Formats: sequence, C-alpha cells, structure tokens
Amino acid sequence: MKRAAVAIIILALAVSLAGAQSAEIRVLLANHPYGDLLKTAIPEFEQATGIKVNVESLQESQLTTKLTTEFATNSSSVDVFMTRPLQEGKMFYKNGWYAPLASYDFSDFPANAMNAATFGSKAYLIPLVTEWEVLYYRKDLLKKAGIAVPTTFAELEAAAKKLNDPTTGVAGFAARGKGAAAVTQLSSFIYSSGGFYLDKGKAAFDQRPAMDAIRFYGKMLANYGPQGATSLSWENIMPLFQAGKVALWTDASVFYGQIVDPSKSQIPAESVGIATFPAGPKGNTPYTVASWGMAMAKQSKNKDAALKFLTWATSKDLAKRGMLANITMARASVWSDPEILAKMNKDLVSTRAYAAKNGFPYDRPYMTAVGEARDRIGELIIASINSAGAAPDLDTKAHDLAEKVNELLEDTGEAGQ
Amino acid sequence: MSGGFVDRHFKILAPLPAAVFVVVMILFPVIYTVFLSFTNWNLTSGNPLQVVALRSYGRVFREPRFLAAVARTFLFTLLAVGVETILGTALAVLLRRQFAGKGLVKLLLLLPLVAAPVAIGISWNLFYDPNIGIANYLLHQIGLGGLKWIYDSTTVIPSLAIVDIWQWTPMITLIVMAGLAGLSPEPFESARVDGATDSQILWRVTLPMVLPTIYTAMILRSIDGLKTFDIIYAMTGGGPGYASETLNIMAFKYSFEYFRMGQSSVLLVILFLIVLLFSLGIVRLQRLSEG
Amino acid sequence: MKQRLAGRILASTLIFLVALVILFPFFWILTSSFKRQVDIVASPPRLFSFAPVLANYVRVFAEQNFPRYFLNSTVIGATSVAASLLLGLPAAYSIARFRQRRLSVFILVARLLPGISFLMPWYILFSRLHLMDTYVALVLSHMLIVLPVVVWVMSSYFASIPVEIDESAMVDGATRQRTMLSLILPIAGPGIATATTLSFIFSWNNFLFSQVLSMEKTRTLPIAVYNFVSYAEVDWGAVMAAAVAIMTPAIILTMIFQKYVVQGLTLGAVKG
Repeated sequence: MKRAAVAIIILALAVSLAGAQSAEIRVLLANHPYGDLLKTAIPEFEQATGIKVNVESLQESQLTTKLTTEFATNSSSVDVFMTRPLQEGKMFYKNGWYAPLASYDFSDFPANAMNAATFGSKAYLIPLVTEWEVLYYRKDLLKKAGIAVPTTFAELEAAAKKLNDPTTGVAGFAARGKGAAAVTQLSSFIYSSGGFYLDKGKAAFDQRPAMDAIRFYGKMLANYGPQGATSLSWENIMPLFQAGKVALWTDASVFYGQIVDPSKSQIPAESVGIATFPAGPKGNTPYTVASWGMAMAKQSKNKDAALKFLTWATSKDLAKRGMLANITMARASVWSDPEILAKMNKDLVSTRAYAAKNGFPYDRPYMTAVGEARDRIGELIIASINSAGAAPDLDTKAHDLAEKVNELLEDTGEAGQ
Repeated sequence: MSGGFVDRHFKILAPLPAAVFVVVMILFPVIYTVFLSFTNWNLTSGNPLQVVALRSYGRVFREPRFLAAVARTFLFTLLAVGVETILGTALAVLLRRQFAGKGLVKLLLLLPLVAAPVAIGISWNLFYDPNIGIANYLLHQIGLGGLKWIYDSTTVIPSLAIVDIWQWTPMITLIVMAGLAGLSPEPFESARVDGATDSQILWRVTLPMVLPTIYTAMILRSIDGLKTFDIIYAMTGGGPGYASETLNIMAFKYSFEYFRMGQSSVLLVILFLIVLLFSLGIVRLQRLSEG
Repeated sequence: MKQRLAGRILASTLIFLVALVILFPFFWILTSSFKRQVDIVASPPRLFSFAPVLANYVRVFAEQNFPRYFLNSTVIGATSVAASLLLGLPAAYSIARFRQRRLSVFILVARLLPGISFLMPWYILFSRLHLMDTYVALVLSHMLIVLPVVVWVMSSYFASIPVEIDESAMVDGATRQRTMLSLILPIAGPGIATATTLSFIFSWNNFLFSQVLSMEKTRTLPIAVYNFVSYAEVDWGAVMAAAVAIMTPAIILTMIFQKYVVQGLTLGAVKG
C-alpha cells in the first residue's frame, strides 16, 4: 500500500514537473523603449507561467534582416516578434509569416490602429505603440521674435522666415529630407493639402494637391532649413535641435522626451514646446499610426505558450506601465486614465487627442513594396529640396516616379485596390 | 631517409584541409546565390519563385541605378585603396627604424582597425555635420568656408573615402612593416658600401624588394574595399539619394528593403565577378613585379 | 650629416602629424564615452570643457549582458584564429614553396563573395544541423573570413624567406614538414604575428555573420554596440562607451596573442 502511494506521488511529481518545464519560447524585439520595458518585466511572466522566454533585441533594420532570413528559408525558431505594420505588414502577411489571432480581444484598440493589423476579416498582429506628427518649437525664440505658435502652413512659413538666422546658425525650419526617411513626415503636409500617396490602388503623389505640398516642403527646407537638408533624418536633426540650431521642427511625437532632457539637450525644457501639426490649405490632417505591433510567427512550434506571452505583453496592465514610462501606447483606454494623464506632458496629450480624432492612419503608401516606393518618392522629395520646390521639371519627374510606383503595385497585384 | 608519406605528398596534404574547408563552406552559398539569380523570387509578390533564366539579369542591367552603383564602387575603391596603399607604405617605411616608443606606435596603429564600425559611423557623421560638426568648425577657425561632406552628393564619396583611409591605412602599414622586417640585410649593406644615399636606397632597394608585399596588402584591401559595407551603411545608407550607393549597399537594399531576392542575387554575382577580375588584375601586376 | 638630421626631424614631424590624425577620432570616442549627450552634440564642440560622467559605462556594463558577449567574442575569436592558423600555415607554406598560385587564389575566392550571399544558405544549413546559436557555427563562419587572410599574408611572407634555408635543412635529411615546423615557422615570427593580429581583429569586429547566426547565448560584442541604437533614440554616450569597451580588450588580446605566438615559435626553434 505504502509503496503504491509513494509511486503515485512520484509519478504525480514527475508529471507536474514535466508540465512545469514544458515550454520555451523565442521572442525577437526591436531596440525600442517598450522592448526595454518588456525585458525588465519578462521575469514576472516566467514566474507566473513557468514558460521560459529567450529574448533577443535588435536594431530595427537588423530585426527585419534577421526575421526575413529566418522566415524566408522556412527554418525559423521565432515564436513572437515585434513588427512594423506599415512597413512590413503586407509583405509578411502575403508570405504567410503572421499567425492569425482569432481568440484575442481587440476591443480596446481604436479602429484606425486596427486598419493595418487586419487583412481580410482576421487580425494578424496587435498594435503596440502609436505616434503622430507634431510641431516642436522653441518657445524662447518665438517669444523673442514676437511670433505666435504657427497653426497654418502660411504662418509656419512666415515664422520660419523670421526665425531663420544664418549668422547664428539657427535654421528657421527643420524636417527630414533624407529621401525614404522623409516620406513619413511629409505625409501630413500632403494630407493637409488634400493629397495622398496612393488613391484607390494607384500612385497619387504626382497629382496637384500632393505636389503642392511637396513643393512647399522643398521650398521650406531649401530656404530655411539646416545645411545638408537632403541627408538629414531624425538622428541628425535631433542633435541640431538639442544644440539650439533649430527653431521649428516637424516630426514624430516620439522624440519629445529627448529634447527636454537636460542631460541630452542644451535647451532648457521650458523653452521647448510641442504643438499640433499646422493646418494646410485643405485641412488639418496629421498622420497618426501604430508604428509597432506584435505578432506570433506562423512557423512557431509553441503556439500556446506564444499566445500566452503575446497576450501578456500587450495587456492593459503593461500598456499602463508603458504610458507611465512615457511610451505612447496604442490602446485607447490608457489615454483616458486620469492617473496616467496626470504624469504625461499636457501638450503631448492634447496633440495626441487631436491626432486621434482627426488624423489619417497611414504615414506612407500602404503597399507591399513600400520600401522601394519610399525610395522612389524620396527621389522626388530630394529633387524638390534641391530646387526649392521650383524646378520646372518637377511634375514630369513626379509622373515618372508615380509610374514606377504603379509598376510596383501591379507587380504585387495591388493595383486598383 | 627521404621522408615518409607526408613528405612525398606534402604539396597535396599541406593545403588540403584549408582547401576542403573553403569548398565545404562556400559550395552551398555559391550554388544558392547563382541559382537565385536565375529566378524572379520577390517576397513582396507573395508568389513562389520561378526560374526565369536571364530575365532578372536583364531587369538589373536596365536599371540606371545599377551602372551608377558599379561606377561608384570603383571610384570609392580606387580612391580609398590608392591613398591607403601609398600612405600605408610611407608610414611603414617611416616607422622602420628603431626608435623609442615604436611598440606604442604599433599599438596606436591598431586603434582604427579595432574600432566598431557603428561607433566610427556615428562619430564621423557628427564630425562631418555641416551645422555643428567639428570638421567645419576647424575649417572656420582657420578661415576657410565649410563643406557639406557626406551631406552632399558631390562630396560624399571622397568624404567616405577619408573615413575608410583613416580606418584601414594601418592594416597596410602593418603588413608592409612585417614585410620590411623580413627583408635580408645584405642588399642594404652592399648598397651602403657602394655609397648610395638614403633616398637611393629607399627607391632602388627597399621599395622594389617589398613591392610584392605591398601588392599583397593592396589585393586584400581591394577585395574588402570593393565590398565596403559597414561604414557606408552606418553613415549615409547609400545617400544622399543614391549618391553613395555602391553595389554591396544596393544588393543589401534589394535583399532586405525591397525583398527582391532574385535581383539582389544578380547584384551579388556581378559584385563577385568584379572583385574577382579586379583582384586577378592586381595579382597579375604582382607577378610581373616579382619577375 | 645635416641632411640626416633634417630628414629625421621631418620624419618625426610626419609621424607626429599622422599619429594626431589617426588618434583624433579615437580620442573623441574615448572622451565622449565620459560625456553626457548634451556635451557630445554640443555646438560649438566641447573637446575638453565638460563634466565627465560614468553613467554611460554603467549603462553598458550593468544593463546588458556584457561579460557574456565578451566571453563569446573571445572564444570565437581565439578559436577561429587558432583553427585558421592550423589550416592556413601549412597551406601558405606549400603555396609559397611549390608556387601553387591557383590554389592561393582559390582560397582567396572565399573572401571575394559578398557577406550577404552567405546569410540565407548558411542559415538553412546551420539550422538543419541544429548548430544555430552555437560556437561551432560562428567559428566556422568567422574562419571563412580569417583563413584567406592567414593564407594570403603568410604565403607572401614565406615566399620572401630564401629557399636556401629549406634546402640546406633538407639536404641534411629533414622532411618538408620538419623543415616547416622547426625552421621556417620560427623565422616567420613577424609575419605570423601580423596575420594573427589582423585575423583576430577581423573576427572580433565581425558583425553580419554574428548577427544572423547567433541568438541569445552566442551574441558577440559588436552587436552589443547596436543595443544602444534604438527606434527613436541614439544613446550616443553609451555607443561610445560600448565602442571603447570593445576596442580595449581587442588590443590587449592581440598583444597577448602576438607575444604568445611569437614566443611559442621561438621556443620551438630553440628546442628543435
């Protein structure tokens, strides 16, 4: 009797142990503040579920290289990964690299964030963080020149002109000019001028409204922008702003923290302002996008454990922690939580409120071959900057490039959609 | 005893492990890449790959960016490697004599070689910034105007070459220094006995004797130079526009930004052929110099 | 006499200028590793006028798995170099003495292929063999870069050693392999030291192969530097600190390697 009892106990222990040490998952994250947050929180998850998490984090483009190499060769061991819905979403979906997420509750996510997460009628990724275009400005410089914060393109240009000071090396206006990188930040200008990158599955950036915006952008940067504008992206403009060499800067909302941090920026925080993107001739439509999401790999061999991790990593609880760490999360509910809002910068919150209501949910042509399309549109942007938006052949060039983008759409079967 | 099995078959056995290793490691990649270059594999189409013979080659050749990338690859390499070779050899000759702190200097020479490309890229990006960078700051201090460096399509290639020269000249110096150290002293002694000046010894004895070593260093450096990736990617990513896009950068973009695997394989095959022809060319020069 | 002195002064000045140029960016990286970001991107540039901080190094060593990365880079580097010397030295000697030119070009061909062409095929290969995230995969991939350097540099170096030395040994009855091991290798000290140094550096700095073939366990140092290049932020100070943290061991290790290799060979010569 005793022996049988002992045997049963041992058996039970063995079974429970086997169950406890069952799952191990591999998670690939991007070098991103939310990824950093997750890394610190993962031990809690491992404790609670007994699932071992092998996490790697990589810089953005290296993450894409690695995921592509693994998935395209059908030999991946990745279970969960961070992904950029607007840059690789369509491509990954087309190649069957995302696993559909039928059982996940998406109710807390705004409709426009789900646009790029859904294909057909199913969702394939979970939006994580959100960003929108804003105007950063130097309160002190504006005050000194007696200018109010620009709220329209016309005011923006007038302010840039007044604040541009070659003698002190201060650029009146800065924005990305580096080809593909500039496409996302130009988008708000285009939308607010009544244009689009794509319309009904065809390139539309060579149409009048969009071209007006592109010319305006080029003119602004050529006349009031920093030196070398066609090579500058955020990582170049940021140091300029921090060194006090930029008066007005339009870019994504995610950079705010760094330009008010005294260990990073020469400009005191009280001299830095953040405002809603100015209105264009046809409206005030900045982009507002879910820049990063999280997905489960279709090739995953541990889907149950992966789903557990995914649910935990995108939970409301962690979203709250993200917000408190100044990461602008995609979930809607955290933006109406008074405790959280009390801790965030008021202006950042109000720009977000505006963008969430009036923004356009894409910041680039939403297509599979978006990488190449961005390079093409980037050529147009550079040409515009180099000629201050006034080159007579800019329209011809735009038509040629639009043709090329249309070819891309045709090649991938997206033309006319 | 005239030696056993190993001795008799030395010329086969000695290089065998190395040769086998190389074959094993590159066979599959070469076949894979060449095969892909004959397909139209494009991850954005979502279609399975099809063999299309030379169609991908055609599409690549028709792309104006392609020839421009080839030209830039040569321009960058000739500029960078040319200066590195001359400068590196000059340094090696200068450092030949024993002097206090020679060990330290050799150590310092290693520094640019061991610096991580991303750190170099970020640092030099900042040096070169036309608005707040130190390069223009120094130019202004001595009364000259500022340049746009890597931030302008006309100056980007030479500016990148400067960074490459900074980083890789020491490698040539080290190889040539080793070569110089291995030279036998007799020709020098007899030249001195004959009353030759330092300059004559340098140009008529030293350099000719160490020329094969210089070629060795040059070949190694050229191979890497034609394929330069790290600093260009970290600093300009091929920009402004495509002004610093070399073949390797273009291949990377085609692979991991455009996802056109078939066409990027074409670019890789062509890059390989270019590097091969170029190196064979210098090897031939080396052989002639030994003649 | 005067000419000699003038020549010497000129030479010293040139060396000094060159040293300055070589060193400046390194100096900048080093000092920036002790700066807050505001001092790194400041305008006008703050070469000396800043309050040094240790925070960057704290971030680098505390927050990341630095000791692990360091161990991985060292093990992979040492093994790749050792294996490449083992395979490469005999090959180089043979190529030099038997003028096997085609063979040397063939081995060099391995280095001609652009790195990207290896990523997918090797990924397929190593994952099928369950060698992903192992030292084996990484050492093999690094050897492909390093072996041709060893062979190329050493074959040229061996070729410059007069054949008479070999011949006199063989006339006395020594076999090829004996001649190579006991006689030629010890003389080739400077060449081997250089080949070793360069090889180790190439392996140490390698990024592409390490990034794709490694996972959490075998990550190497260069990838760690990119840990500080984030989606919306570049942690300049930490990148610089990480760079210094990578450079310093590399130099120390190459110093040790050089001494060890050269000493070991000279001992061999004395014994045999």
